[in-house]
Amino acid sequence: MQPSPLANPLAAVAQLETSGSRLDGIPQDLEDSVRYAGARLTQAAGVLLRLPQEVIAQAIIVFMRFWVGAEGGSLAEFGAGQVSASSLCLVTKLSAYPKSARSLVNVYAYLDAFPLPPMHTEPKEGKAEMYYVSEGTYERRRASLFETEQRILKTLGFQVQANLPYTLCITYMQALDVFTHPRVSELAKRAIAHLNTALLSPQLLYLTHQPPSLAIAAIYLAAREAGIKLPEAEWWEVFDTDREELGFLCVGFLSTEGFAEQEKERWAGRRVPLTVEEVNAEIKRRNEESDA
Amino acid sequence: MASRWADDEADKAEALRRKQDKEEKKRLKLQKQQQAGEAARAAKEASERPAKRRRLSNSEDATTEDTARTPKDPEKERKLLRFEGGRWAPCHHRSNFETLNHIEEGSYGWVSRAKDIATSQVVALKKVKMDYNQDGFPITALREIAILQKARHPNIVDLKEVVSGDTTEECVLVMEFLEHDLKTLQEDMHDPFVASEVKTLLRQLAGGVAFLHDNYIMHRDLKTSNILLNNRGQLKLADFGMARYIPPPSAPLTQLVVTLWYRAPELLLGTPNYGTEVDMWSMGCVMGELLLKTPVLPGTNEVDQLSRIFSLCGLPEEKSWPGFWRLPNAPSLKLPRGQRNKQSFDRTRFPFLSGAGVELLSSLLSLNPDDRPTAKAVLEHDYFREQPKPKPSEMFPTFPSKAGQEKRRKQSPHAPKRGDAPGLGKVDFSSIFSAQEEGEKGAGFMLKMA
Repeated sequence: MQPSPLANPLAAVAQLETSGSRLDGIPQDLEDSVRYAGARLTQAAGVLLRLPQEVIAQAIIVFMRFWVGAEGGSLAEFGAGQVSASSLCLVTKLSAYPKSARSLVNVYAYLDAFPLPPMHTEPKEGKAEMYYVSEGTYERRRASLFETEQRILKTLGFQVQANLPYTLCITYMQALDVFTHPRVSELAKRAIAHLNTALLSPQLLYLTHQPPSLAIAAIYLAAREAGIKLPEAEWWEVFDTDREELGFLCVGFLSTEGFAEQEKERWAGRRVPLTVEEVNAEIKRRNEESDA
Repeated sequence: MASRWADDEADKAEALRRKQDKEEKKRLKLQKQQQAGEAARAAKEASERPAKRRRLSNSEDATTEDTARTPKDPEKERKLLRFEGGRWAPCHHRSNFETLNHIEEGSYGWVSRAKDIATSQVVALKKVKMDYNQDGFPITALREIAILQKARHPNIVDLKEVVSGDTTEECVLVMEFLEHDLKTLQEDMHDPFVASEVKTLLRQLAGGVAFLHDNYIMHRDLKTSNILLNNRGQLKLADFGMARYIPPPSAPLTQLVVTLWYRAPELLLGTPNYGTEVDMWSMGCVMGELLLKTPVLPGTNEVDQLSRIFSLCGLPEEKSWPGFWRLPNAPSLKLPRGQRNKQSFDRTRFPFLSGAGVELLSSLLSLNPDDRPTAKAVLEHDYFREQPKPKPSEMFPTFPSKAGQEKRRKQSPHAPKRGDAPGLGKVDFSSIFSAQEEGEKGAGFMLKMA
């Protein structure tokens, strides 16, 4: 059957069972941490590049797709920071907001100057030389930007497009007739916030569920949190999502916060390894720790 | 002997019996409907009660589970619409295909005919040129792939997959193979397509273009060499190297699109924002070319192109094309003024075209983009309803395929290369009609065939 342009390609079960990184002996929890940090890095870079959230979300989806499955990219071969930059480069090219290689290289150099990526604070004043990119460095980084871009395209079989749930989310709220409610903007903001959070989920929700289901789960949770009543009936079925999927997604959405807290604690004061060298060093450190 | 068809007693009895039968059936049906309605109501009532408890909440009423709930829930029967989105997997290698022969060099890649070794299916391979590596993977190829992945339509060429080659650079699009392109085909034909064939082709072309425009895609390089035809009379649009999604109003568009002969006047005059109308102009050029078997406006450069357009379609005027003089390149034009302005479409070039046909062609070739019909409107046009009707695709004649055997000749100019659109400079069009006007003076009448 011809795939529908309305639906996104989803990860196959076999692809979710393993990953290129795990086959290379990288622990799963480390991979989860790096993927989460890489997605946040993509989000931060997208904001600095003044890209619309739709473009950033697509870049994060491409970034997440890249690592999945036995044939996916491995952290032993690709740095997450590099893949993040190349995903963003690739997605902006297809969007109405192309960004030059120079802008991308500059933004990623700037973000790298933060003491602890993903960043929590401003870099220190007067440290502009920390993120200055010389002409030679720029040439090298541009070359690897494009090289990794090619590898992403080939790994994904050129499936770099993704339909997003943002507009669906608004449409569904209109269909549910909640826009007459006085606190509807709170509801809409919370729903969109849930959708953005889900991009970072270690459960890869955007790779396993179609946009309508994501939009519904976001509205459902937002309505509960904002205390806004939705129809008593099983309204999600109108938008072609069954109760089981909705339940699963709600749990997934809500667990992302806990995961984020846990990550913050785990990496307190340390850099999440976003290059191949840093990943190797982290594994070495872990091995020494367990030997000791 | 009475006629076999005469009304007799037996017939009357039979009619009566039938009527009774019918009434009985009707009654049964009504009864059934009522029963079904009652059952549905009952089911609804039954389902409404547990629905309240089945809310996805951890509030108190949900924790007190209803033990009496039936395991088989009638609501589970409700059908949800599911769309298959496919999967992703790494690109296959090019060695899965055996090249049969080269076909041509397109605007940004080489095309060849090949065979899938596993399935023996004949396909067309289009190798992406990696000429300018300044911006990484060529944006044109990326757009073509992205658009073809989304644009699945009987009149749009099917992208099967993208395969990689030996080097990381190499990238090949695998598409369905069609025997002809309209340009090469017409070059080899003795006579132009007959009216019914032109209609079949044009209707399919409009169908494909309407689908693209419905999906916010502009092709931006419609021309006969990009329109493919198979031996079953099916037409498909190809070469989406120039295509793109209609961007948000703020984003700029490049003016350097569409091969010169098919380029709309607003593009030649340097408009900063244009839309799907540029495809409709190109469609007009293709329609004219199908009728004449030769390009309608084969300009040698931008200026010559404009002059050919004005002599076929008339001169632009503020009245017929408001805002024309404000286009960037318009002030440098010197148009013949004061004289009797030639406003109308020169239909003498299409002597065998019907009134409706001329109406369609001249509206597609309207100077003012707002006057051109949409692709959907073209499909509804009377031209397709009047005699001769479009020839069914199955009845379409077949032709020997050039693409299947030998390298093609290439004469039409290429799609524009990336870069800045050149201005037109100072141009004087005052004399484009002088020759024709002399002719009009000489001959007192002209034979019109319509």
